[in-house]
Amino acid sequence: MGVADHSKTTYMELQQKKVYRYVIFKIDEKKKEVVVEKTGSPAESYEDFTASLPENDCRYAVYDFDYVTSENCQKSKIFFIAWSPSISRIRAKMLYATSKERFRRELQGVHYEIQATDPTEMDLDVIRERAN
Amino acid sequence: MAQLAETYACVPSTERGRGILISGDPKSNSILYCNGRSVIIRYLDRPLEVQVYGEHGYPATVARFSPNGEWIASADVSGTVRIWGTRNEFVLKKEFRVLSGRIDDLQWSPDCQRIVASGEGKGTSFVHGSKFITVSSDKKGILYDAKTGDIIGELSSEDGHKGSIYAISWSPDSKLVLTVSADKSAKVWEISEDNIGKVKKTLTCPGSGGVDDMLVGCLWQNDHIVTVSLGGTIFLYSAGDLDKAPLLLSGHMKNINSLAVLKNDPKVILSSSYDGLIVKWVQGIGYYGKLDRKVISQIKCLAAVEEEIVSSGFDNKVWRHSLQGDQCGDAECIDIGNQPKDLSLALLSPNIALVSVETGVVILDGSKVVSTINLGFTVTACAIAPNGTEAIVGGQDGKLHVYSITGDTLKEEAVLEKHRGAITVIRYSPDVSMFASADANREAVVWDSASREVKLKNMLYHTARINCLAWSPDSSMVATGSLDTCVIIYEVDKPASNRITIKGAHLGGVYGLAFADERNVVSSGEDACIRVWTVTPQ
Repeated sequence: MGVADHSKTTYMELQQKKVYRYVIFKIDEKKKEVVVEKTGSPAESYEDFTASLPENDCRYAVYDFDYVTSENCQKSKIFFIAWSPSISRIRAKMLYATSKERFRRELQGVHYEIQATDPTEMDLDVIRERAN
Repeated sequence: MAQLAETYACVPSTERGRGILISGDPKSNSILYCNGRSVIIRYLDRPLEVQVYGEHGYPATVARFSPNGEWIASADVSGTVRIWGTRNEFVLKKEFRVLSGRIDDLQWSPDCQRIVASGEGKGTSFVHGSKFITVSSDKKGILYDAKTGDIIGELSSEDGHKGSIYAISWSPDSKLVLTVSADKSAKVWEISEDNIGKVKKTLTCPGSGGVDDMLVGCLWQNDHIVTVSLGGTIFLYSAGDLDKAPLLLSGHMKNINSLAVLKNDPKVILSSSYDGLIVKWVQGIGYYGKLDRKVISQIKCLAAVEEEIVSSGFDNKVWRHSLQGDQCGDAECIDIGNQPKDLSLALLSPNIALVSVETGVVILDGSKVVSTINLGFTVTACAIAPNGTEAIVGGQDGKLHVYSITGDTLKEEAVLEKHRGAITVIRYSPDVSMFASADANREAVVWDSASREVKLKNMLYHTARINCLAWSPDSSMVATGSLDTCVIIYEVDKPASNRITIKGAHLGGVYGLAFADERNVVSSGEDACIRVWTVTPQ
């Protein structure tokens, strides 16, 4: 499974220039590579992000999480989310699971990784707890 | 945000043929007893405030305050003693394995430095100052000198107990002794100078006189005399006025598996436990009496409306009891041919009931079986609409089947597939516009009744099977209770992630849920306690 150049550059734009709040990637089976499906502007919220993920299909996603620490510092951490809902087809889960490592290696600078099999596993509380 | 408003505590666990030990702290006017794996602390002047210590891994047998009131030592059937602080969230001081078997009693030394523990005994004794008394199943009480161990006297057999004496307690001034016995009475003895005990007063247990009235535990603390019966009722007498009728505190001893709220005045909460006990509670007052059903049978499912209670147990029968004011009227028994798995009443015409059995459902009208329908799949839960025209039946496979009811037949209207585990409970909202279902795979779903579309999903925040579900009276909130001991309250118009979670509501799992009003949720569980929570939506 290859990684499209566009996917890499979109990720860099999120990481270095903070152009996006989130990027959602999907595997294009015909071209056999990971492509960008959707991006979200910095104004969008976590709810918008979770709503953009399909309920019964797998995806990879990167989310830029801004928060304030207990010492009142503004911080930002990048989360890589492997979205693999238990109600999705087994074929999809297999495909995304086996290609994850190859794709993940292309993304430098990810702080935390989360694997979610239902919406409660990537709830905002979970993200907040991991960041702190 | 949810806050604990009231706790209706369980009663001590009792066993026939064995006394129980209750102890207390005169300074805080509290008493200690054990139920299952929990140690319960109750404040005699604030009965709705209860604290529970649930850290024992085995059924607890005895708990005692240290003389300075700072620590509690409790022991269980595995021979383990735990010493924990009364303040500061019960922080554990020490835990050790003292005996290899059940510990029957333990005592603190007056300097709070040592504890003595004993196991497997046939008599009980109480040391107080310079004398101690032992009592036993031979109906006698013998006084000993505490220093030498010589027998110095005994409790007179004149007007003595006619049954095994299970427990004994000294009065604070060491002049009087309280004993309780299997003959269902408690006696106060005056110990004279020559160490003979004479009966000063006999307190008979105000009850129906059955086995449950045998007295198994007692405590004399300050001005309070506390006796406990085999049935779990706690009687509070005033030591200064022995003729005054005692205050009765009771509750459940076993897992409370269902709750119902009746809209009478005052609003009564009915709870039933699997041993067949139904208790009435009123907010602000607490224990309001037991419902005497005149029928001794276990209860698995219970449904109640103002005029009657319908219950089913582990046999093939469904019982209908009419409620007349405070008490149960006559009971009608209906044999439906199969063990009932779930029971639902059509609230607007409660003589119509839907009962689910292993492979189908039974429709009842009053005490008549209207029809028994084999549905061809393994049925778990069911619900009937308040007007009796629609029914939803849930299966072991997680599918929800919606049927329309005409007379004695069911016509399948739709099959809803979303759940990934056996359906455990289905409930219509009070305004009938929605219904909610929950399964053994920790998920709950709210559906729109008319379109049968999913209205609220992702209600997946429990970590174990969902046992019970309740709607708020205005149909705006749904509460789910699970084996994972949590109660989660969702607002139907908001996303599931906005839920309010009550963790650790009941040790062992939450089995019953009901809304007392818009802001108060009542929950019950394996720990035989009922708790009322006040909910404030964010």
